[in-house]
Amino acid sequence: MQIDKELMMIGVDFKTKGEVLESMGARLHGLGYVTDDFIENVLDREENFPTGLPTSPCAVAIPHTDTDKVLESKIALAILKEPVSFSNMGDASLEVDVKIVFMLAIEAPGEQVTTLQNLIEMVQDEGTVSKLAAVQSVDECSRVLGDFKAQKN
Amino acid sequence: MTKKLLIMCGTGVATSTVVTGKVKTWLEENGLEDKVSLHQSKISDEINRIDDYDIVVSTTIVPDDIRDKVIDGVPLLTGMGIDEMYDRIEKRINQ
Repeated sequence: MQIDKELMMIGVDFKTKGEVLESMGARLHGLGYVTDDFIENVLDREENFPTGLPTSPCAVAIPHTDTDKVLESKIALAILKEPVSFSNMGDASLEVDVKIVFMLAIEAPGEQVTTLQNLIEMVQDEGTVSKLAAVQSVDECSRVLGDFKAQKN
Repeated sequence: MTKKLLIMCGTGVATSTVVTGKVKTWLEENGLEDKVSLHQSKISDEINRIDDYDIVVSTTIVPDDIRDKVIDGVPLLTGMGIDEMYDRIEKRINQ
């Protein structure tokens, strides 16, 4: 799982999913990876098609939007200090308390299949999710992601 | 006769791509790939022609009037409840 260190936000303190999405989107936008209307579109998508996943031992969310809002494919990662409520991807009437957010900026779906498959495999791995939730630094976060990759190979 | 299986998500980009890959592998492992043609799309493109498909798996929320037709694909993303979900797909393939 390749995530740039400058796109990792560790121990960040937010009260709402809107704050989380705006902050992560701003990071992607500031580095020139997405269009000016990316954040607005992600927020809109999240309302209509929520992305909270009740994984174990803590929930994750994978917000994203259409490929035409993306200039360069990247994944941003936020480990939240306290969980924030997202709606469940399969049933919007259910809320999930999300601790880890992967914001996907995907330019062309075809090229990203492997990355996405790895991401989904990773969030199904309880050990890795548990370690990620506890990381205290960007370096530690990189190490956990690297360890998962190594364990797979 | 080949069954038409649609996999859809909110954007037709991320989750349906992952789910399609997983379902394709599952079909091959179970010798079902000749019985099914796989389609991947986003819900807004399919909502008006949902009856064109024999089986629909969705990783996103769907309107109430088609809920009975749609199999929830979220277990493929969380890893929980996968066997039950595949049982439902297999039943519809063999119907």
